[in-house]
Amino acid sequence: MKLAYYPGCVAQESGKELDLATRWVCRALGIELVDFPNFSCCGSGFIDEANSILNVAMNARNLAIAERAGLELLTVCSTCQGMLTLANRRLEEPAVKAKVDSALTQIGVQYRGTTPVRHLLQVLTETVGAEAIRKRVRRPLTGLKVGAFYGCHLLRPAAEMRSESAEDPHSFEDLISALGATPVMYRGRVMCCGFPILFVKEATANRIAGHQIEDAKAHGAHAMATPCPLCHISLDSFQNQAAKSVGQELDMPIFHLPQLVGLALGATPEELGLPRHLVSTDSALQRIGQVAVPT
Amino acid sequence: MEAEFVKAPIEVYRYDPGTDRAPRYDRFELELAPHTPVLTALLKIRSDLDPSLTMRYSCRSSICGSCAMVINSKSRLACQTPVGPELERHGRIVIDPMRNMPVLRDLVVEMGGFWGNYRKLEPHLVENPDRPLPEGKTSSMSPEEVDRFKETPRCIACGACYSACPAVEHDAEFPGPMSLAKLYRFVVDPRDGAHRERLLKIQTGGLWLCMRCHLCTEACPKDVRPSERIRDLKEMAIRLQGATEHGSKHAIGFKDNIREKGVLNEFKLVRQTYNSLEMLAQVPQGLKIRRKKPELTQTPKAIEGLAEVEKLYQILDDEPGDSP
Repeated sequence: MKLAYYPGCVAQESGKELDLATRWVCRALGIELVDFPNFSCCGSGFIDEANSILNVAMNARNLAIAERAGLELLTVCSTCQGMLTLANRRLEEPAVKAKVDSALTQIGVQYRGTTPVRHLLQVLTETVGAEAIRKRVRRPLTGLKVGAFYGCHLLRPAAEMRSESAEDPHSFEDLISALGATPVMYRGRVMCCGFPILFVKEATANRIAGHQIEDAKAHGAHAMATPCPLCHISLDSFQNQAAKSVGQELDMPIFHLPQLVGLALGATPEELGLPRHLVSTDSALQRIGQVAVPT
Repeated sequence: MEAEFVKAPIEVYRYDPGTDRAPRYDRFELELAPHTPVLTALLKIRSDLDPSLTMRYSCRSSICGSCAMVINSKSRLACQTPVGPELERHGRIVIDPMRNMPVLRDLVVEMGGFWGNYRKLEPHLVENPDRPLPEGKTSSMSPEEVDRFKETPRCIACGACYSACPAVEHDAEFPGPMSLAKLYRFVVDPRDGAHRERLLKIQTGGLWLCMRCHLCTEACPKDVRPSERIRDLKEMAIRLQGATEHGSKHAIGFKDNIREKGVLNEFKLVRQTYNSLEMLAQVPQGLKIRRKKPELTQTPKAIEGLAEVEKLYQILDDEPGDSP
């Protein structure tokens, strides 16, 4: 399998560990990633709010890059997945398509609308398959209870995303089970992490993140995992603030999706960039015998 | 033909704040045809098993908007939700009152906050001096003008979006999805004379607290798609008055930020959103993050083909024209 790899901004910058883990896991599973140094940002939902047509045009340009190479586009971020998919949908509106096509023509780009946008979670569970991954597991994550945290834009709006059930998804939990860990079901798994308003009203954003982590913890999660690096910022980089806002210690290790897969397939914590997290993942690693329990 | 019946375990939230120390769930088991609406099941419970069960309902046809409640964790109309698919997916049906509103009794909630937020947005036409009402006639609109309302007139004010919304749950300043979708309806109504005032007011009145999680759009029984109308309001507000507060500053800052390198300059974005004093307050957290993630303050390399991106900005942003 060969895919056009769209890492998105954060995985190339402060969330570099997501890129490391994605490359490790894809290598292990024989998925060839093709890099395109001309991909631009997906707009992260913010450009859509400031200028929706510009946002569609920028993403049409990205989609055209993959189309020219004849490849499906792989995202590792729920928000990138949402924005690129939304661009495909909005280009089905004749007025939008006319305006965007006219701008693209002026930069010598044509997009015929044929690029499928697929998130790593979808590729792992739908194309590779949870059962095939189960067979590749070298170090089962037995004993680790993991709360999946999907990230809004992978699921919603359901009419546009056209993926699995938006209200009751199960692909992530299926994958967690295939890795030998135990999935934890809780209301927050399909809720918002608060990230989009982190810069609008930080206190509210932190409270929302804190609330979701509390929820996962109350249902027995030892760790959480997310397919979105923006959720990771809210849940990991700002977890200290989230904890303050809900008035309790959280100490919840937050894995990026491919980090969890990589651990089960035999990668070391360093290869997956785990030491880069703000909240130590050691408590989770101890449960699966990856690091020694301190005496 | 005889309908096939299925066993339907139903757990209903029960609470009377006047007499009960804590809420509880009462479990009932009915035999129902799979197409039976949850509302019909509840009415059957009330008539046959427990006459004290309290709920709101009226039309039973998804028109009045009275029977919104939380069914298996999702805010929706009881009359519009058949029991069959719920039982198939969850094995039982758990019914709670709507969220984000205080419980009066069982499934009935106090909706004063919901209506109050709506009323604050002045949901009525304000006369437009540029388009005076014709003497003795009703004001008519062209089909194109009516199309601009999109889905908003379908709203039946059931409250499902308000119940599903995390911004409502965590921040009293947010007016709620329905109020904003209805506000959109007046902002694009050519007969309304207060477009500017409405946008000016909402820009600092909680508009930017929407996290675009789209839970409202999924909850809405009438496919009003509130989250998309909120997005439209944000773009209209920015076009009218540019950056006024953190939300619009952040959106505009983000857009300008990407123009420079094609990808995000993370550190610069913080400076584009916050003033110096606010920046200072961010320093301790920023340093904590940077210790683990040194890229946070590094300037990213520009993408190849940045000139193409620049050209798109010139065509579509410097002179944006009408947004389709």
